[in-house]
Amino acid sequence: MKSREQEYKEIFIAEALEYFDALNRLISELEKRPQDDQVLAEIFRMLHNLKANAKAIGYLQISDLSHKLETAFGLIRNKELSFSDEVVGVLFDGIDMLGELIGNIDGEFPVEPDQVLLRNLDIIVDSLSDSTIELAKVQKFSTSRNLTLSDLIYIQIRKLDHLMNLVGELIIDRDRILSLSRELDHDELKQVSSHLYRITEELQYSVMDARLVSIGTLFNKFPRVVRDIANAEKKEVDLELSGQDIQIDRNILQIMTDSLLHLVRNAITHGIEKPAEREKSGKPKTGNLELSARSDRESVVITLADDGKGIDLKKVRSAAVQQRMVSADVAEDLPDSEVFSFLFEPGFSMAKEVTEFSGRGVGLDVVKNAIDSIGGRIRVESEKGKGTTFTLQLPTSIAVKGALLFEVDSIFYAIPLIHTDSVVALDKDELHEVSDVLVADIKGETVTVVYLHELLNTGEPNMRLGDKTRLQGQVQNIIIVSYNNRKLGLIVDKLYRQQDIVVKPLSKPLDSIDLYGGVTLLGTGKVCLVLDVPAITKYFISKR
Amino acid sequence: MKDKSKKKEEQLAADAVTTSATDVQEISSLAEATKSTAAAEETIHLIVFKLGAEEYGIKIEQVKEVTVTPSVTRMPRTPDFIKGVANIRGDIIAIMDLEERFGIRPAPLTSDQNPNITYTLVIEARDYSIGVIVREVPQSLNLSMAKIDKAPSFLQDINIHANYIEGIAKVNERLIIVLDMYKILTQDEIQELKS
Repeated sequence: MKSREQEYKEIFIAEALEYFDALNRLISELEKRPQDDQVLAEIFRMLHNLKANAKAIGYLQISDLSHKLETAFGLIRNKELSFSDEVVGVLFDGIDMLGELIGNIDGEFPVEPDQVLLRNLDIIVDSLSDSTIELAKVQKFSTSRNLTLSDLIYIQIRKLDHLMNLVGELIIDRDRILSLSRELDHDELKQVSSHLYRITEELQYSVMDARLVSIGTLFNKFPRVVRDIANAEKKEVDLELSGQDIQIDRNILQIMTDSLLHLVRNAITHGIEKPAEREKSGKPKTGNLELSARSDRESVVITLADDGKGIDLKKVRSAAVQQRMVSADVAEDLPDSEVFSFLFEPGFSMAKEVTEFSGRGVGLDVVKNAIDSIGGRIRVESEKGKGTTFTLQLPTSIAVKGALLFEVDSIFYAIPLIHTDSVVALDKDELHEVSDVLVADIKGETVTVVYLHELLNTGEPNMRLGDKTRLQGQVQNIIIVSYNNRKLGLIVDKLYRQQDIVVKPLSKPLDSIDLYGGVTLLGTGKVCLVLDVPAITKYFISKR
Repeated sequence: MKDKSKKKEEQLAADAVTTSATDVQEISSLAEATKSTAAAEETIHLIVFKLGAEEYGIKIEQVKEVTVTPSVTRMPRTPDFIKGVANIRGDIIAIMDLEERFGIRPAPLTSDQNPNITYTLVIEARDYSIGVIVREVPQSLNLSMAKIDKAPSFLQDINIHANYIEGIAKVNERLIIVLDMYKILTQDEIQELKS
């Protein structure tokens, strides 16, 4: 695989060549209609972009030349320079040279910009009225021109979506064929199917790779956003970015865009204090906001940390009580991690006033829903006076997920690994009936446990989630899942393996049933239901 | 698409032939009779199946295929009339029991029926497919549009079901309730599924 740098370079060259083609077309048009402001504006814009891109990637000759041309066209636009024959010649030469430079970035013999031409450009720019200075003859670049097509193509994301779906289907069928070939115990078939396995795997990763974009494409928009919000709030904020090179599926990034923007707004308006206030509490005047990304096994972890005033747990508790999400005495005893989870409840708000940028009734629940929808996780940590950190764990790809397979009442289920914490086997005696639920001590932590069979299959009026007699057998297999800072143990009948699955969304009218995130087909051809951990947690809470 | 639907018709007809040859003869002679009397008359092609003791029909354009019901995976916490999901040619679709949906008393099994085999009509709604379970092999029937009473007066007496009933067809001694499958699951009911 090529390095990132190489990839950026290729993208730059492809774009630059496109600009070059467009510039040639536009300047020819301009020659015919010198008064056309739109064409001029377009040329100006392109040269400007080219200059900026070239500078960013370090091709200074291209950026310098673009700059000179841009200046000349700027003067023409402001009617300070007439688009006369002499000038036209120089500009055409300049654009030709630009093409030559771009085309030879990767060439064996780097091209040096023609000094005579550069001087000519300077002359037309500097000696506006006094055009008596002779323009020197330049060697023509266009003589050696070849017509070339770009190495890069643009492709609509929906075509890649379609491709990804097809690959998903292919993988399902491949697994089926693989399992059939084992059953039939036919050597040649086994050979062919294992080859098929390798090819589809490579195909899958290639398609996934084609959909990846670097997180920087989103991160790099934030410096400006932060500046604007900070200005409006009269705050001073430094933004630190890191991990821009981390790759993530384009659609996942798209879905996260609004959420990230929301969190950043929140951090500045509600987190970071005004300069005076910060100094009073012994902090540097300028607040610090850190937006970073890193890869973690199969997922991408984005963290947003501010050094603001932090979340006041006491206030969260009282707001939750006020908004009747929990009774006062229960709120007192809730562990901090659960108190934080109120922040993500629909309708929960602590904002007293509405500003231009936050507190317009869109809460963290919207962020949470967006993350749930792609099967990610969000966590918040905060210390009063020190700051708040949001951690978003996102899958790198939507379609293929690692999952844990299990069985309840002869139905196959899967839970995406991103939601599972651990798997334990406990003796029935280690489960305790506490009020209406079962609890167990798991690695020193008291965790609520629920028998999935009871939760899913018993008629709702007869459901008794705190009744141990409903359990079957002595040893219980428990999958610990975690959602919204809450852990929940799910007792399953049989635990199978860990496996990469392709989640197919449920088709209508079943797509509105929250409990299932989708289905997948097992190698045996059996349908396996993919449980949605957020929904199952919510369902459990509503039935408790 | 055209080819597919043609094949589908052939397949349906073939199914019908193998299972109840006499019915088919009756149907085809009927169809011919209608054709000859009024060639210009509009005809309608129905797939006819039984729910409870009554016969119901769906326009063939709404039926994608008829198959022996594959293994259905139950989906806990969905309404009773959703039997679960099944893998039909790689598509995973919901399987629905219309008897439960409409509260129709199932007819007692006849001696020649195998209780373990049912058939599934795959219905193509506007933007999705759904399977409908029936006990007996569905039949194919051509009849003149004129035989369908689009607005029988009794429809006013029943409220909710009326939506799905497109009309009542009377063929010889038979009475066939023609359903509009597109209306079987209205938006409201999809919402209801959420629970």
